[in-house]
Amino acid sequence: MAVAVPKEVVKARENYLTEGGLLSWLVTVDHKRIGVMYGLTSLAFMGLAGFEALAMRIQLAQPNNHFLSADLYNQFFTMHGTTMIFLVIMPLGLGFFGNIAMPLQIGARDVAFPRLNALSYWIFLFGALFMYSSFLFGGLPDAGWFGYANLTERFFTPGSREDFWAIGLLILGISSILGALNFFVTIVNMRAPGMTFMRMPIFVWNILVASVLVLVAFPPLTVGLVFLVMDRFLGTHFYSTVAGATPILWQHLFWLFGHPEVYILALPAFGIISEVIPCFSRKPLFGYAAMAYATALIGFISYGVWGHHMFATGMGPIADAAFALSTMAIAIPTGIKVYSWVATLWRGNFVWTTSFLYALAFVVQFTLGGLTGVMHAQPPIDLQQTGSYFIVAHFHYVLGGGSLFAFLAGLYYWWPKMTGRMMNEKLGRINFWLTCIGFNMTFFPMHFLGLGGMPRRIYTYGAGLHWDFWNMFCTIGAFVMATGILFLLIAMVESLTRGPEAPADPWDGRTLEWSIPSPPPVYNFAEIPHVHSKDAFWEMKYGNNPGHKVPEVAAEHEAGHVPHIHVPAPSMFPILLAAGLALCGIGAVAWLRITLVGLLIVYLAIVGIGFEYPTYGEHPSKERGDDIYPLDSRKVGMWTFIGSESLFFASLIGTYMAYKGRDLIGPTAKEILEIPLTSFSTFVLLMSSLLMVLALAGFERGDIKAGRNWLFATAGLGCIFLGGQAYEFNKFYHEGVTLQHNLFGQTFYTLVGFHGLHVLLGVIWLLTLAFASFKDMVPKKRALAVEFGGLYWHFVDIVWIVIFSLVYLMDKVTGA
Amino acid sequence: MKLKASLGCLRSAILAGLSAACLAGCEVFNGPLSTFIIRSDFARDSYRLFRYTFIWDCIILLTVLVPMVLALFWLTPRTGPQEQEHVEGTSWLEAAWTITPALILISMAIPTIRLTFQNQPPTPPPGALRVRVIGHQWWWEFQYPEYHLTTPDELHIPAGRTVYFDLESADVIHGFWAPQLGGKRDAIPGHVNHIVLTPEKPGEYYGECTQYCGLSHANMRFRVYVDTPENFAAWVKQQQSAPATAAGNDPKVEAGAAVFAAAPCVTCHTIEGVSKGYIGPNLSHIGSHQTLAGSILSNTPENMAKWIRNPEEVKPGAQMPALGLDPVQIDYLVAYLESLK
Amino acid sequence: MSNNPTASPAEPVHAHEEVPRGTIKAYLEVAGVLTVLTILEIWAFYVPSLQPVLIPILLVLSGAKFALVVMFYMHLKYDHLAYTGIFGPLLALAGFIVIALMILIAYFMGSPPTA
Repeated sequence: MAVAVPKEVVKARENYLTEGGLLSWLVTVDHKRIGVMYGLTSLAFMGLAGFEALAMRIQLAQPNNHFLSADLYNQFFTMHGTTMIFLVIMPLGLGFFGNIAMPLQIGARDVAFPRLNALSYWIFLFGALFMYSSFLFGGLPDAGWFGYANLTERFFTPGSREDFWAIGLLILGISSILGALNFFVTIVNMRAPGMTFMRMPIFVWNILVASVLVLVAFPPLTVGLVFLVMDRFLGTHFYSTVAGATPILWQHLFWLFGHPEVYILALPAFGIISEVIPCFSRKPLFGYAAMAYATALIGFISYGVWGHHMFATGMGPIADAAFALSTMAIAIPTGIKVYSWVATLWRGNFVWTTSFLYALAFVVQFTLGGLTGVMHAQPPIDLQQTGSYFIVAHFHYVLGGGSLFAFLAGLYYWWPKMTGRMMNEKLGRINFWLTCIGFNMTFFPMHFLGLGGMPRRIYTYGAGLHWDFWNMFCTIGAFVMATGILFLLIAMVESLTRGPEAPADPWDGRTLEWSIPSPPPVYNFAEIPHVHSKDAFWEMKYGNNPGHKVPEVAAEHEAGHVPHIHVPAPSMFPILLAAGLALCGIGAVAWLRITLVGLLIVYLAIVGIGFEYPTYGEHPSKERGDDIYPLDSRKVGMWTFIGSESLFFASLIGTYMAYKGRDLIGPTAKEILEIPLTSFSTFVLLMSSLLMVLALAGFERGDIKAGRNWLFATAGLGCIFLGGQAYEFNKFYHEGVTLQHNLFGQTFYTLVGFHGLHVLLGVIWLLTLAFASFKDMVPKKRALAVEFGGLYWHFVDIVWIVIFSLVYLMDKVTGA
Repeated sequence: MKLKASLGCLRSAILAGLSAACLAGCEVFNGPLSTFIIRSDFARDSYRLFRYTFIWDCIILLTVLVPMVLALFWLTPRTGPQEQEHVEGTSWLEAAWTITPALILISMAIPTIRLTFQNQPPTPPPGALRVRVIGHQWWWEFQYPEYHLTTPDELHIPAGRTVYFDLESADVIHGFWAPQLGGKRDAIPGHVNHIVLTPEKPGEYYGECTQYCGLSHANMRFRVYVDTPENFAAWVKQQQSAPATAAGNDPKVEAGAAVFAAAPCVTCHTIEGVSKGYIGPNLSHIGSHQTLAGSILSNTPENMAKWIRNPEEVKPGAQMPALGLDPVQIDYLVAYLESLK
Repeated sequence: MSNNPTASPAEPVHAHEEVPRGTIKAYLEVAGVLTVLTILEIWAFYVPSLQPVLIPILLVLSGAKFALVVMFYMHLKYDHLAYTGIFGPLLALAGFIVIALMILIAYFMGSPPTA
């Protein structure tokens, strides 16, 4: 029960917010600081998106209005959606709340990979700035947040706006995947001793499932964006009908990401509500187990429902029916959640805080959004509603009245923990009521407008359509809501400047974060707590005997020394690496040579991170305190990364298979692929895997020289494979199969080319290790470093095994 | 007294405001694009399922709201501030709120799937009128293969006869939606989608593009005229004949015809017997149309002149350029075009 | 989807101990089998009478190769079950994506043009 740090010690050590100067934030790896930075950045972008929304509402207040031009309106609705989803709600849910609360709730000192965490943030920031910088070069992106092909082809959207959008999203996707990987590993591996999965706070459950969803949802989006960038820059035709392809491919890849994304946005919100309602009802969460399973089930089903965004595209009745059923099924676990929240309220003893009010509003508004969602699961109804303001109302109820309200509940809830200050409840009330009333005024009438036939994404509408009244009403509501949000800012500033100091446990909380001081010390927990039940801190305070608070847990400990705690040292490499990546993006739209500089910086920064500390590739150690965890975090991370990469290749392979045999002109796979040559390369790659395990065995038994030689040999075989590929590409090219020639050309070069790129990265990785071993940087105790490189190498090998049979040998199979 | 009077005033003002709001608010469902005005079998299917789901949604909402309100404002809190009941789950309750929604969903799923298949027959129903709909940035083209007709933006179909739409696109993805006649479907390049419906009542119906298709997506509307079978036959006959122009009688019209022939109009527009352009809308009978330019303007000489003078001003991004004609030429041209009945 | 690795942190920790990995001999044997399987694949490709069943044959053979590399060279057979628990479901989803894309797009586009 060693939980709280004695007060004297706390006072003696600075909290995480004030330690070091302002510049130290640039190199920080502290999850709490990174969380704060995520929060501030998202808040700033929310202001921007809110500004765009208000401008749109003014334009729509009356028919035939001329406040915004068509062009500006289209830019604004595109960026409002893109911003709210990628730069506000997702980073708030995962980046902000995930960082602020999750590690504290599982009793960890930080996330599994602190530098990766900083990297995710900086990539997010630079990616966001990159996307918005398109403003300086001819305007913001204007093809919608969904960017439906073939409108995004360069023929229909010339200029660089969509380039900024596509490349910006690619950069942001990297940030999301790295962040989610980090959280996933943290939750899987770094829970406090005794905290089984079924004892985790429900918020952590939701972050876990949301992280998994990011890992499985972003690879298809990445592939979709890669195709888009290729279409726009290299003249391929993945989404245009010129070569026999279909723009619908984009919609599948996009919604394969897009629907899980909805739950990526919603799950952290569910988690927050599941913490806030029990806390302010003075009751444990009703049906914890069902809640946990429902969370997992929602995540699982959400991966198979994307087609309900596409009922109007004519997928055919069978696909329509299948997606209708899977989408309806998701209502069941969601219903379990809603009813469990209500049951938690039943006979509760309420504390009417602002946070609680937001949570209550969330339950009602989210339920409304969910119920209209059931209608969109039914194609006959959906065909009358999709693309109309009814949908706008629906998803604003889910993501605005749902996620965003939950985030406001969470902000009020964790604010004292985060800042060490209490928020003013009076200002909170004003903020809540204005926001809540304004929100419902803005979005509830949109149901009416949608049923009245008003389509989305129109910058103007004619008079006499009976939409005037409610549009004006919505616009007024939007300003009420904006005023409400203004009071949030006032309340935050007031709290920071004049707010009373927050105690460690202001709400009589149930989870571990309330057991440490507010704001927490840099190391979070002086001693890692041992957990014996769910609601771990509640149990520590009250034992099994409700009503009898164990007096002052903190006082049990004599004021004394805090044991030496290893806190990860700051690093400048994350921000450097992110800057390199941003340079790559800038180079792509400006001057390709800048990309090369960017890539060099990225490489050097990765090597820098790799060898920055002598811990690279070492087994977990007692000094660092990571020996208490059951698995090696880095290995969990590596396997998760490999799993996520499989989905990337699956999307490429799926596209290849779907387009196979649909070429309008030859030659295609059958006529051109050379089996003998490729069989040889396949053999070479298989043998390289053998050499790789021999290299690892060498390092593991301390025979560095042998290990190094095997590494060189492995990389050498990799180079032979690449040489074979270069020969093959060159030959095809001279036979007329260029990247732009036909469907086979573009899918084949892209799939095999991306595999080749992975081989190239693998070769660079292995050579880096081999050369580092000359400097004695890869001794026996760091053999794990070689194992990670090896895992990547073998992964590239197994992908080739699949490609070899599906692409080269199975030339008869077509998509049909 | 004063306070009371002003309170009374306020109250009646609020009441008046509320009832006005109710009236104004309900008007939204009486608009020309309202999904609650049902004018085809397809729309009726959607509406009935909507109504069924809506009723269940209301009931489910109540099962959430009522216990919530009771718990928050009616039930007395448990005694003692710190006491907590160890209610961590009641299995019968949890089973109930898992199974009941599942049953309700099944009751929705059955008609859903039946209608999903029914609305998408694999082959066109026998005797159906086939209409080819082609979406363009930003106007609609309607072709009647049966009658060898092409008309822009205004679609005529006979009441009581099943219509089988073939939806295609000439450029990007568009969405074809005339709410009172039923649900929308996308017009996708390289693909043919279908809508089957039987219009029930003659009248004028509004339609619009529902898939974002670029700059002037908002200006891509259309009209559907459901005619009685006799009127429809008459319309077909009129459309099939060469444009009835009063050329011989009116010198302005004659001058307009000359302007049309000399200006670049002919490269994009077809007028039966005059020109064979195909990029822009077919203007053979434009004078008989109610609307112009993607159904965003009513067809008056002033609007026609405004459109010809500067299309960009009416429809941002429009592919038709401003031709730089002088006002007199435009005047003649308008007279000519309006004469094409 | 939920990943529920079987690792329970409540259990005492054994994972950091040196896990017995495959021996060099085992690695060489696996390499031999991989070579044989590859030869079989290519052989099946060139035998005309096997054409009708080529697809299932290739799926089985490449599946076997895949499994061998993952189990032995990537040590999943020796390592903690949690790693399999992470990779397995993600791999299953990868398969799901390939099949879903193939079916949905094939159905949408109709039968391919006969070139």
